[in-house]
Amino acid sequence: MTRDKEEKRRPVLFINDHADILLEILKRLDGRSLCTAACVCRLWRALATADSVWEHLCLRRIVSPPPSSPGSSVRPVVSALGGYRRLYMLCVRHLLTRLDRDPGGRWRTSSAWDELQLSLSLFCVDYYERLGGRFGDTAATSSLMFLCKPVNV
Amino acid sequence: MGPGKPPPPPRTELDGFLAGAGYKVRSSDLHHVAQRLERLESAMVSSPSHVVSHLTSDTVHYNPADLVSWVDSLLSELTHSYHHPNNSSAPTSSTSSSSHSLPVDLDDLFAIPSAANNWLQPEMPLSQPPQLTVFTTMEEDSGIRLVHALMTCAELVQRGDLHLAGTLVDEMTALLTRINTGCGIGKVAGYFIDALSRRVSGAGSAPASPHETEILYHHFYEASPYLKFAHFTANQAILEAFEGHDCVHVIDFSLMHGLQWPALIQALALRPGGPPILRLTGIGPPSPDGRDTLREIGHRLAELARSVNVRFAFRGVAVSGLEDVKPWMLQVSPNEAVAVNSIMQMHKLLGPDPSPIEPVLSWIRGLNPRIVTLVEQEVNHNQTGFLDRFTEALYYYSTVFDSLEAACPVQPDKALADMYLQREICNIVCCEGAARIERHETLAQWRDRLNRSGFRPLPLGSNAFKQASMLLTLFSAEGYSVEENEGCLTLGWHSRPLIAASAWQASPLSAAIADGDN
Repeated sequence: MTRDKEEKRRPVLFINDHADILLEILKRLDGRSLCTAACVCRLWRALATADSVWEHLCLRRIVSPPPSSPGSSVRPVVSALGGYRRLYMLCVRHLLTRLDRDPGGRWRTSSAWDELQLSLSLFCVDYYERLGGRFGDTAATSSLMFLCKPVNV
Repeated sequence: MGPGKPPPPPRTELDGFLAGAGYKVRSSDLHHVAQRLERLESAMVSSPSHVVSHLTSDTVHYNPADLVSWVDSLLSELTHSYHHPNNSSAPTSSTSSSSHSLPVDLDDLFAIPSAANNWLQPEMPLSQPPQLTVFTTMEEDSGIRLVHALMTCAELVQRGDLHLAGTLVDEMTALLTRINTGCGIGKVAGYFIDALSRRVSGAGSAPASPHETEILYHHFYEASPYLKFAHFTANQAILEAFEGHDCVHVIDFSLMHGLQWPALIQALALRPGGPPILRLTGIGPPSPDGRDTLREIGHRLAELARSVNVRFAFRGVAVSGLEDVKPWMLQVSPNEAVAVNSIMQMHKLLGPDPSPIEPVLSWIRGLNPRIVTLVEQEVNHNQTGFLDRFTEALYYYSTVFDSLEAACPVQPDKALADMYLQREICNIVCCEGAARIERHETLAQWRDRLNRSGFRPLPLGSNAFKQASMLLTLFSAEGYSVEENEGCLTLGWHSRPLIAASAWQASPLSAAIADGDN
């Protein structure tokens, strides 16, 4: 009897059988939810940690990238520096929260593309400092620590 | 708080009005009160609610008529509320002894504000809040006394009266023990007193090794936005100047760890039309222990450039000072666009006659650069009069230290960043002649100098301004401001500009000759 009820309760659609739909859903999540999603199971982890999803997250706010620098030319640079997921975690995330806290700021005429450019520059400095560790420079500390400090609003 | 004590005789009309309104404060202290009110506001905003709620209750804790100590008591209570009150217990026992140790001349040199009379009463039976009041009153008063004493000492040094200056230094050191030297006026005063004592005793300051300088610079880079602002603004200007050029050459007057260049390399990689061929010439001091630091930095930058597919070549020029650089060392080829980048280096060339600045500016102009980016401290520390220089330095560095305190609670970075600034202070105060290299000049002075040497200004543009403002919002302290000043950008703390970035280009030769004829 219990097995009958179980069979009736089993969902018609099992999301893990449809990785493409799952991917589309994951692409629309924010960073925190994406990280939570990565803890669900191996399939979800593989999909949620793929750099393409994070690329989507980082470039989402950019309505129209300048035609001179389409997303495709940014990708190899970002991959070389550590990938979109790391870019989001280290820079974009903090930038967005800080900027959201100051919506009336004077600079708000800047576009999401400018914000991404700034994140990329900071990301590059971080990559460079990590290179310093490999070259035996023991004084390599992280210049992005200032982003992690709590903001006194 | 001595409610029965009459205020001291008014010195000015304004003092008279204030006294008549029942405020025991001098008009000269009002600036101080205003500053403290600002800090109080930021401290209240950043304090947890249980501390602030105690202040918002209706009971009056301190006598608000005495503005100076009232605002400082509130401020100290907020900031000291996490600290153990053991630092407040020390002063009460030392009040009686210290008031006797101060010689009569010190008291004659400046009037004691009325509130300070409190701490001359020894052995007051105190419960906790009044104890804090007494401590902060004394600290506030000691701070003002220290500043007065520092000015007096500087004047004595300028007059050449080193013996009396030395005595004053000893007294100031004693005064220092009674205030908090971890932050605020105590810390800055401590550095200046140290520098003055070195000057008076003739000990001078030992020059730092290049390795030490690099480490301190790195920590200063991380603790505050000044160097980041400098790098990002200069990079934006260089990027815009290099538009359309396929062979570009950047000459960096002080490579350090090369922290400025990764961002430029990345921006060039993403530039429309693809990256140019980038050459970087880094100038730096020779490394003493056989390591070729310049070459190592070059390798690192080359690796970064390789990862992002930018063709890159590096050359290091090891000289002990910019005046030793000769143009042939830079190997500039005629078909490349040249950018000269100087972050806080040019002021070192403003030494006594024959000043090396003119020859250097002239060979820079000879390279025909597309852009010269110049970032310098926005203050005049190159006056011939010692007292003027000292006063400027005191106000300037107080502001810088204030801004650092707000921006950087992380300890190791902050302490080393403080040391970086301390070396500058020491050089400005103790050294003279060729040894004094921190000869900062204001933007207006640099403009004048560069215009006369055959350069014309290149406005920095709105992109640089936007980027700088965005960068600032990332820093947790709210007091920083970016201002635009006739095409140049300045970064300041609470509307006092502290560092100025500008860009220049060589004026056409005919115009320069015409100017020379006038």
